[in-house]
Amino acid sequence: MGTKLMDRRLFLKATGATAGAAASLQVGCLSYFKKGRSGPVDRREVPTTCELCPNKCSAIAVVEYGLVKKLNPNPENPKSRDMLCARGNAAIKQVYDPDRLKQPMIRVGARGEGKWKPVSWDEAFDFAAKKLAEVKEKHGPQASLWSSTEGFQEVFFKNLGLAFGSPNTVRHPTLCLASVNLAYSMTFGTVPSFDLLNSRYVIMSGANRFESIITPDTMDLIGGVMERKAKLIYLDPRFTVTASKADEWYPIKPGTDLAFILAMIHVIIKENRHSKDFVAAYTTGFDQLVEHVKPYTPEWAEKETEIPAKDILRIAREFADAAPRSLYYAGRRSSWYQNDFQMRRAQAILNAIVGNWDQVGGMVPNAKLPKGEFLFMPWDEPKAPRVDEIDKHFPLAAKGDGVYLKLRENVLAGTPYPIKAWMVYKQDPMNAMPDQAKTLKMIEGMDFIAVIDVAMSDMAWYADVVFPESAYLERTDPVEVMAGIWPAVVYRQQVVKPIHDTKPNLEIVQGLAKRLGLSDYFDFTIEQWVDAEFKELPIPMAAEHMKKHGVWAASGQPSYGKTLTPDHRFVTKTGKIEIFSERLKEAGQDPLPVYASPVQPPNDRFRLILGRVGYFTHANQSNNVWLNEFMKENDLWINPKPAARLGIANGSTVSVTSSVGTVKLKARVTEEIRPDCVFMLHGFGKKSKMQSLVYNVGASDAVILETAWDKVSGNAAFHETFVKVTNA
Amino acid sequence: MPNTLKLLALIAALTVPLAAQGGSDTKGKFFFKKSCKSCHATGGSAKEVTPLSKTQAQWKAYFAAGKHKKGAEKLDSIVKPEQIKDVQTFLVNHASDSPQPETCGG
Repeated sequence: MGTKLMDRRLFLKATGATAGAAASLQVGCLSYFKKGRSGPVDRREVPTTCELCPNKCSAIAVVEYGLVKKLNPNPENPKSRDMLCARGNAAIKQVYDPDRLKQPMIRVGARGEGKWKPVSWDEAFDFAAKKLAEVKEKHGPQASLWSSTEGFQEVFFKNLGLAFGSPNTVRHPTLCLASVNLAYSMTFGTVPSFDLLNSRYVIMSGANRFESIITPDTMDLIGGVMERKAKLIYLDPRFTVTASKADEWYPIKPGTDLAFILAMIHVIIKENRHSKDFVAAYTTGFDQLVEHVKPYTPEWAEKETEIPAKDILRIAREFADAAPRSLYYAGRRSSWYQNDFQMRRAQAILNAIVGNWDQVGGMVPNAKLPKGEFLFMPWDEPKAPRVDEIDKHFPLAAKGDGVYLKLRENVLAGTPYPIKAWMVYKQDPMNAMPDQAKTLKMIEGMDFIAVIDVAMSDMAWYADVVFPESAYLERTDPVEVMAGIWPAVVYRQQVVKPIHDTKPNLEIVQGLAKRLGLSDYFDFTIEQWVDAEFKELPIPMAAEHMKKHGVWAASGQPSYGKTLTPDHRFVTKTGKIEIFSERLKEAGQDPLPVYASPVQPPNDRFRLILGRVGYFTHANQSNNVWLNEFMKENDLWINPKPAARLGIANGSTVSVTSSVGTVKLKARVTEEIRPDCVFMLHGFGKKSKMQSLVYNVGASDAVILETAWDKVSGNAAFHETFVKVTNA
Repeated sequence: MPNTLKLLALIAALTVPLAAQGGSDTKGKFFFKKSCKSCHATGGSAKEVTPLSKTQAQWKAYFAAGKHKKGAEKLDSIVKPEQIKDVQTFLVNHASDSPQPETCGG
């Protein structure tokens, strides 16, 4: 093995032996070391569910002498493929992280100054409840904002906000891939899975699946592509790991993916290569599409995309010929441009016309499993309209998620009414939202801010009170059904008791609810909640099974074609797959995707493009000591030609300036990016000193990203910022 | 569509507002699960019913008719009169042709 290669075993050996020991000592767990290894080992294994990314892989925690020693993959989960990635393994260090929040704290200095007073839980609850009551008294319950991100205990936080009387719960999707969800929902009535394992022809627009996040899709891609069953066509202005594994890589001109897709549709229809039977039986609006795509020739698309017309023509033919085992892959990645929804709609339409719906190797509607529910009489609906005015500006978007950037604009403007309290669970708006200066301004306008999190995120750093949540290995969570081609139920159960004075989110919510007079809506234990969910699982002895195995998967092979029956009704307005969308037309949006050339950066500017690496993907993991070993700092990718013109040397420090901010980081001069773009990774340049490994290291993209959003979904558009680069 | 259903749909279109019926979606879900799903569930004593079982117009027509068990009894003998508006709101909002985009988690 070369010295620079690091496999999982070496990773654990190298990082676990040193950092693990140091952290363990720091938290005072000396008993393990005192016991030595000569006697019988106090060892047990606990099945649970990973939380370090949204994928929820099943894991088996190995506990020795009360400490989590190792996390192994759980082979019983077909979705996680007997795999636990490096990031999943590093969850141990989330527990034994010396930086993590260890007790409730109330701010004593100015916001962001980092002066805190450790307090009891009662003090923290009393303080927060008093502040919330004051805001409610002065401005009404709608003046509170409840921000959260996806997680098994998120439901309790959202419910507290709604029970408090605020309509303003806002979730992560419009900072992620709401545009994908909406585009596929508007076309098929659901968001399908992509059967990458069995596909023979895959096209990806910038979804850097070999590198940016490791999920079952990644493993399926490896199975499908690396064993050469499938051909992978990859479009990205940057030469990523996925580009290196693809059969063909096209450094597409940024913002023109829609032109490429429309030209593919043009070719397929013109050459009569679409699935006529499928289109006739299951879709509506094909005739309008035929007329609509006539101008979108490959020659026209070549001028827009810089992809040769002959290649577009050939790819379209190959794609149609490989159907139904061909697919244009939708996710995962966040949204890029203000036309993102329409670009995703075009992908959905292309997939529809080749008839890959509900087919082996195509797109497959997710199979679901039933679970029970802990029922209780809910609260009265909040009376005020949402502060983001979602009904007015984004009438088709998911109401319960809200629209983050429009919400921030309205809060800053104080319209339609003031927001004065900001409650945050498990989310870091300081880094997740573009234009950090605006987020800071929003923070300044708050009378009260509380954050519930495992670690001191940048958002927590600016809070008035922080409530430390127990790490996932320290708590039991609600049961989750993982809908998909291979549906499964997963259970996250406590592996070790909390090592600090932390609580699971439910108990934090209950502490607040009690003081706000809302206990009726939270009068249960996590065990009662989970037992109710177990009751309707289609598993004999469900509770016993889930506690013993941590996962249950429907047995047998996945079934395809269940929706391909004459009487099947798609969950759309017409009951068909909607190529032409009346609902979009009614909302004043293009009922078929219309292309407009994106504005290009002027000569002295670059388009800033973003990306992720699977070590952390999200900003909240870059301070994990094991993962930080892989990458300690982000840098700015710049092509040698503009670098030479600007006198920028590899490794030199550069200033990157947009209309909203400037950051400094090191330059990486590389041919692996187009000359009109620069690139940086997400998750560095933290402001919180309790993110010690990444505090002021590298730069945060949020500082320089400008505010822009997709017109239909409201999803943040992350590739609409032009920057100037100079030697610092 | 049978003629009676067509008539009911017409009545519903004329008498019931198109939007959320003015009830509570959240409470409607609770009452639906408490009152309806005790029988209309997989393996239950009656055919499974979910919001997706009908279109918005069909749900509106159903509530306008106010009948249960194919007309054998009044709907308000099963669901309390004060809860019907909430149940209707929930079912219409989540009907098989309702605009409810999927989301991540949550």
